[in-house]
Amino acid sequence: MTALAKRERAELLHPFFISLGGALLMAALFTDFMYSSNSLIQWSNFSAWLITGGLVLALVSAIVLLAEVALGRTGSIRWLDFILLATAAIVSIVNVLVHTRDAWTSVVPTGITLSAIVAVLLLFAGIRGWTVTEVRMPVREREPQAGASE
Amino acid sequence: MIRQATMPALVLLTCALGACSDKGGDPARQYGPNPWLPQPRQYLLPPMSVPRAVGWRPGETPTVAAGLKIQAMASGLMHPRIVYTLPNGDILVVESNSPGTEPFRPKDYVQGKVKARAGAAAKGGNRISLLRDGNGDGIPELKTVLVDRLHSPYGVAWVAGKLYVADTDAILAFPFTPGQTKITAPGVRLAELPAGPIDHHWTKAMVASPDGSKLYVGVGSNSNITENGMEVEEGRAAIYEVDRATGAKRLYATGTRNPTNLAIQPGTGTLFAVVNERDEIGPDLVPDYLTSIKDGGFYGWPWSYWGSHVDVRVHPQNPAMVAKAIRPDYGLSSHVAALGLAFSRGETLSPRFATGAFVGEHGSWDRSPLNGYQVIFVPFVNGRPSGAPVPVATGFLAPDHRTVRGRPVGVALDRTGALIIADDVGNIVWRVSAASADRTY
Repeated sequence: MTALAKRERAELLHPFFISLGGALLMAALFTDFMYSSNSLIQWSNFSAWLITGGLVLALVSAIVLLAEVALGRTGSIRWLDFILLATAAIVSIVNVLVHTRDAWTSVVPTGITLSAIVAVLLLFAGIRGWTVTEVRMPVREREPQAGASE
Repeated sequence: MIRQATMPALVLLTCALGACSDKGGDPARQYGPNPWLPQPRQYLLPPMSVPRAVGWRPGETPTVAAGLKIQAMASGLMHPRIVYTLPNGDILVVESNSPGTEPFRPKDYVQGKVKARAGAAAKGGNRISLLRDGNGDGIPELKTVLVDRLHSPYGVAWVAGKLYVADTDAILAFPFTPGQTKITAPGVRLAELPAGPIDHHWTKAMVASPDGSKLYVGVGSNSNITENGMEVEEGRAAIYEVDRATGAKRLYATGTRNPTNLAIQPGTGTLFAVVNERDEIGPDLVPDYLTSIKDGGFYGWPWSYWGSHVDVRVHPQNPAMVAKAIRPDYGLSSHVAALGLAFSRGETLSPRFATGAFVGEHGSWDRSPLNGYQVIFVPFVNGRPSGAPVPVATGFLAPDHRTVRGRPVGVALDRTGALIIADDVGNIVWRVSAASADRTY
């Protein structure tokens, strides 16, 4: 009983990776803002690396999530969070391409706008706990049934 | 799941922005003094189209204009870029490539890989070879390494007992008498040139003034369009005048994004340059150009192109400099990567090629359909480039545009007036001569 409860209470792993990637993508709004205000190119380089890193972690998160689904560790999907995070990832793919442009127009106006949209989406997803699925709840009825098989 | 959903969306979005049907127009509209200039575009996916380098099979050669013939003068070279004829007829071949640059952004890794497909990443020899063809039959009796252990050399000029070599970071002066086949003395650094740490455009084109007192040196920008920061552009995208006696240098002209070759016009003594213009605002922007260079002239980069066409990628903008920008003399069409420049010396090849300049076009990497990959002749009338260019050597690109056998770079006339072409993918030096004139000297 204790062992079972422990296993089922074991937290999901994918929110950890989503939160890491989300932090990088949100940081890109800050570096974009710095570039837009001082024109120092290194800030735009930071943005490009932050968004690339965020997308790599989004990919890792997706793989971990699928693994958790396959292993039956997840509960039901939380559609609002899924949409928030998936939209942030798609917009960030466009944004990383915008950031491959050279100099000013890699950030202003499209890049920083997309970074801001992503930051808002991720702010909500973060407040809601960076998770795409529920934790699978312990199925209480099963235990007595399993014990009382006659 | 997330990944699968994004790809179609991405393709749709890219197409919506026009990138998937974005073919370049007819290059003929961009030759001459008033090239057609479309509106600049911004892309999600930087347009890249690069043929795979395959080299020449035995017996294959470029195709030359009627009345000319072509032969390989030397092969097995290490990325030959520049050819230069000494007063005694010996031909110098500068074998070189970029010293290598450190990537700044994720993009730099991807772009480097794509360009490497077309042979752009091959290792350069960092040396100068000497070819001696005493009887003028196009078959050198001697091929030897004149000087090696150079540092990404490019321009070379012989003046009054000295051979000047423009390494990427300095002009070196070697005591040298034509006829000599080996240089062992170390070069003396005549003048430092802007180089690392980025050295995005690393080539240092060089030509001596008509009286030999000055050396003109082309220094390319340190970026496509200031994406490495304005501070690293100090002293770049310019043509310098270097005093041969003292090594003192001054900016002769500025705003020339990448002045890849320089030549003195016969008769007038005017300095001309071929300049490679900026990328990634469309397949037909911005045309590379051939122009006379005015002392103190400003040619637009980075703030504007072709005179006063503002480039919005540069921030802050600079209307005062845009107002000063000189329109170049002659558009060569977009992304051809003009690297070679040599003036004709009369009817040595054909009466058609009597007055004008030969231009080696290395070929495009960010345009579809591909452009360049040929040597052209730009006719001059009354001392100025005028009229449509004439292809002199073509066939570097396979007919399906998927593979490339060679890419022309530097051009020069040899002692007999034949056209010498460096090919840095075929690793060959080609010689184009009049088909009828099998004269010996």
